[in-house]
Amino acid sequence: MTPETTLTAAPKTAAPATEGDPLVRVRNLKMYFPIYRGVLRRQVGEVKAVDDLSFDIFRGETLGLVGESGCGKSSAGRAILRLYDVTDGQILLDGTDIAPLSGRELRRLRPEMQMIFQDPQASLNPRMTVASIIAEPLDEHRRLDRRARMERVFELMDAVGLDRDFANRFPHEFSGGQRQRIGIARALALNPKFIVCDEPIAALDVSIQAQVVNLLEDLQERMGLTYLFISHDLSMVRHLATRVAVMYLGRIMEIGSRDQLYDDPRHPYTQALLSAVPEPDPAAESDRHRIILEGDVPSPANPPEGCNFCTRCPQVKDICKRETPAFRQMSDGRFIACHLV
Amino acid sequence: MLNFTIRRLLFTIPTLLFISFVIFFILDAAPSDPTGNLPLTIPPDVREKIRESLGLDQPMIIRYLLWCKQFFVNEPLNLLAQWGINIGDPDRLRVISFQTRSPVVDLIAQRMPQTLWVVGMSYVVGVLIALPIGIISAVKQYSWFDQMGTFISMIGFSVPTFFTGVLMIVIFSVWLGWFPSIYDTTLVVDSWRTLGLQIRQMAMPVFVLALFNAAQISRFMRASMLDNLNQDYVRTARAKGLRERTVLLVHVLRNSLIPVITVIALGVPQVFGGAIITEQVFKVNGLGQLLIIAIQGGDIPTVQTLTFIFAVLIVLFNLIADILYGILDPRIRYD
Amino acid sequence: MKLKSLLLGAAASLALASAAQAGRGDSGHLNIIYWQAASIMNPYLSGGTKDVDASSMVLEPLAHYDENGNMVPVLAADIPTVNNGGVSKDLTSITWKLKPGLKWSDGSAVTAKDVVFTANYCMDETGGCQQLAKFADVTKVEALDDLTVKITFGKPKPFPYGPFVGSTTPVIQARQFADCKGIKAPTCTEANFNPIGTGPFKVDEFRANDTITLSANQNFRDPDKPAFATVTFKGGGDAASAARSVLETGEFDYAWNLQIAPEILAQMEAKGKGKILAGFGPLVERLMVNLTDPNPKWGDERSTVKHPHPFLSDKAVRKALSMAIDRTTLVEVGYGKAGRVTCNVLPSPAIYNSTANDSCKVQDIAGANKLLDQAGWKRGPDGVRQKNGVRLSILYQTSTNAVRQDFQALIKDWWRQIGVETELKNIDAAVFFGGDQSSPDTFQKFFADIEMYANNFDGTDPEAYMGSWKCSEIPSPENAWLGANMPRYCNPAYDKLVAEMAGTADINKRAELAKAMNDMLMQDYVIIPLVWRGNVAARANTLAGVRLNVWDSDLWNIADWSREK
Repeated sequence: MTPETTLTAAPKTAAPATEGDPLVRVRNLKMYFPIYRGVLRRQVGEVKAVDDLSFDIFRGETLGLVGESGCGKSSAGRAILRLYDVTDGQILLDGTDIAPLSGRELRRLRPEMQMIFQDPQASLNPRMTVASIIAEPLDEHRRLDRRARMERVFELMDAVGLDRDFANRFPHEFSGGQRQRIGIARALALNPKFIVCDEPIAALDVSIQAQVVNLLEDLQERMGLTYLFISHDLSMVRHLATRVAVMYLGRIMEIGSRDQLYDDPRHPYTQALLSAVPEPDPAAESDRHRIILEGDVPSPANPPEGCNFCTRCPQVKDICKRETPAFRQMSDGRFIACHLV
Repeated sequence: MLNFTIRRLLFTIPTLLFISFVIFFILDAAPSDPTGNLPLTIPPDVREKIRESLGLDQPMIIRYLLWCKQFFVNEPLNLLAQWGINIGDPDRLRVISFQTRSPVVDLIAQRMPQTLWVVGMSYVVGVLIALPIGIISAVKQYSWFDQMGTFISMIGFSVPTFFTGVLMIVIFSVWLGWFPSIYDTTLVVDSWRTLGLQIRQMAMPVFVLALFNAAQISRFMRASMLDNLNQDYVRTARAKGLRERTVLLVHVLRNSLIPVITVIALGVPQVFGGAIITEQVFKVNGLGQLLIIAIQGGDIPTVQTLTFIFAVLIVLFNLIADILYGILDPRIRYD
Repeated sequence: MKLKSLLLGAAASLALASAAQAGRGDSGHLNIIYWQAASIMNPYLSGGTKDVDASSMVLEPLAHYDENGNMVPVLAADIPTVNNGGVSKDLTSITWKLKPGLKWSDGSAVTAKDVVFTANYCMDETGGCQQLAKFADVTKVEALDDLTVKITFGKPKPFPYGPFVGSTTPVIQARQFADCKGIKAPTCTEANFNPIGTGPFKVDEFRANDTITLSANQNFRDPDKPAFATVTFKGGGDAASAARSVLETGEFDYAWNLQIAPEILAQMEAKGKGKILAGFGPLVERLMVNLTDPNPKWGDERSTVKHPHPFLSDKAVRKALSMAIDRTTLVEVGYGKAGRVTCNVLPSPAIYNSTANDSCKVQDIAGANKLLDQAGWKRGPDGVRQKNGVRLSILYQTSTNAVRQDFQALIKDWWRQIGVETELKNIDAAVFFGGDQSSPDTFQKFFADIEMYANNFDGTDPEAYMGSWKCSEIPSPENAWLGANMPRYCNPAYDKLVAEMAGTADINKRAELAKAMNDMLMQDYVIIPLVWRGNVAARANTLAGVRLNVWDSDLWNIADWSREK
């Protein structure tokens, strides 16, 4: 039995770059974390980690979500997977709004959507063997006998390139790359349709990063997975993503196809962000004009009036400091939130 | 693990010998006089004779070596003799208490049941109530339950047992008359009725001590749970779609228990040490009371032997805690 | 006083009568609590009161002291005296006769050999016997026949009742302790924990420093006694909780030595479950008056007989100071039931108690003022009396102790009312009683005008105690301030009485002499007694027959104890 024949349970669909059938629709998603202070722990405010996100993720595609650290991209990923109770908004997974669900109903949908975490060391229970880590979701969601369960575990280990002999080892006995493979095998155990990859390679050595990225691509192709790929590594996102969304201070600034964004960034923030990416071509690299942003990112607990980017935007105008720019679709299909375009 | 255990056990031997010498030295340096508690009407020359008869006119080092011989050679041989294995002269000199003129080891054996019943039980009860309180407090952090738990722990921690003990005696023995205020060490449990009596007389001291123990352990449990609740693997477990109960009990609790179990293991020697104050308040004449009376009476052999046995237990349970840690946490390897 | 003793006697005979009607073991179980636990059942190896008392249930001496300090025969047929020929005329030997037919609890006969063995057991140099002092000057103990023992002393003993009188020196069985003499004494654990005795009870189980379980001795000489079949003797805890277990919860029948604040004890007694008993030995809280001048200007000669005190050498002043004191208030404030008003420095045993000084029992401020007026001490403008430029200004010292400081404050106020100015000083007990030659604050140096403390003596015989106030006992730099005569009292008449007592054997004559000495001290007002301090115990209401005894074990008459229905 080869992995190919069994790991294709999910329908294999074509992955158009910019259009098609959305698997995930996020509408006006808000994720605010309350701030408590004082002796009586009264709520004195909230951190607007995710503030009014709306976008679609199409079947089979990889949507890259980029932004500086602290911009809320990980919170967005977790909120979409309902690892948090969202403050407001809709998350439609295959047409079902999972935002208001909880408990048993939510758990029933868990096999559909999974997450690969940033820190493979911390995200694996140190007291469980590889086999039990991978098998645990199967116990919870599938009725399999012992043999079938072990068979499935071995399949998954094969699929992510882990030696079957390691099944009874503990996470701390593996290298970072191997741990991330365990994390991936675990995420795949229930044949999910949608996987959020939350900086899956950030904690790995550069040499290992490529292996893991290739594995992710390989698996996507074989199993028809849809990825939300969260990263601050713009080069990697360029390599991997079909479309890219740029976040700043809890909001999406610009979203469009990879080529649109990387070749012709329109939002001042996207421009600044991408100017930091080195060009592989030495000629182009020597032409590259780096845009240095002034000042610090404002606190998400106290975002500025108007456009969130107005405090640092090199092209800021008066209107930016008054009105929040609408999130509009451009003629070329991309969405952008900026008064200037 | 076995190698580690053997290596550690071998290492404890010089440590314990050193400890025993330090104890002996400190006891000798301390101004304690076995005749100090005698009525003032006993004249000084008689006191001097009493001291001589106790061997106190010998130099310290001789007395120490004598104690070593009595404790490390004669007592084990005597124990063997009780099991029918006789080696050497059966008239060996055992470690004899100054106060009671009886073998210290026999006294300790006589005291052990009370201490284990009361102090041991209170430890078990304390742990059993501490764990759920700690778990719930952590899971529902800042809820009213957590606040109550914190408050009760604070009380258990900071209000001394001689206060809670006497308070309970006044309430439950004097006003309500539910429980006896004085523990009967001669009670033999051989029927339902005597078992009932035993439970009644244990109730108050066990409760007072359990409150104190639970206060510490529940805090540990809570802190450890909180530590683990914020770990990534817990999020992973949730992402797996596990029931919240499974997440908490299988993932969080199991990992949180590791440090708590070591803390519990390290606390076990205290059980054998008895709870001096509580034993005194409720007249549970266990090891703690034996120690305090021996100290007051300048009974050096008893104090030395008891303290040394406590030292052995502490060293032993430290080792046990380390081994438990190694067994429970796969990340720890000792070899 | 008469009425009281009559009532006591009546109560005792009632108790006796009820006990006599009942048979052995009829009263069931008795619970005793000693907050200091007994360590051993052999008073020769531990002189602690708890151990002596515990063993007194099992082991008996030849004679006990009763609650009034009089000797009553126990194993002896009667008390030997010079008059009955039991004590030799030269006071160097005493011959005891045992009661016939006495049996040990194992059924064997008690003989004079057991008494001889006991004496030799204790007098063995290597045994560490803690009662050795009781055998002082004994040169020979011999059995004249099975029931007769002769004890010979190396010098005349007007009071030859050291060995075998009182629970500290009981008779032990020669057979049981035969192999336990000398260095082997401590190794006889079994014998030390379960001695075979003649007393009303025998040990069933001895748990050292914890609990003793006893049951009635079936071979006890009185077939109807003891009334209790079994006894639990519990040890441990503290005085307050022991009191509580008798007075408040009723779990125990008898609690010993309850040194607790009087108001707490009174509260507990108000619960109505038990009674507080007080027994009074010779312990008296007193003021010592310095007859010599403590003024620092005399340098090395301060507080020595070379310089009489400027105003305390006037007896009128001393007497006025005593008259101004309200002793009843002092008792209430400081000791409650554990204290009594006394006007004697030797208030007990009862035969030594004088009634000649009882006028001090009532405070008389007016009388004291009048006395001082007559003696020429006139009030100055500041209200302090003075004469010839000498002001009545007193430095009054004592040890640091809450009750003593209360007393100082009260007395200072009373003395103010008679025109005496008082400066108070308290000194840490370890220093005050410590006898450190280099410290100026010891009670022997007495660098003050008045000092207060309590003192007593061991046993029932006051001869040595009353000898404290001979001229030769005055502390001074010459004798390194050793000596017990704090007032620096020197009266040839007093010294003559002391010498006379040393040569008198008749107990009644000795009592007369002791009283005379006491009265001399009292009427010279060199010692001002304040409170007669006692021992306190508690008994359950249902426990009859207890006669609290400060001269012997609390449990000396436990054979007579019974349960009142």
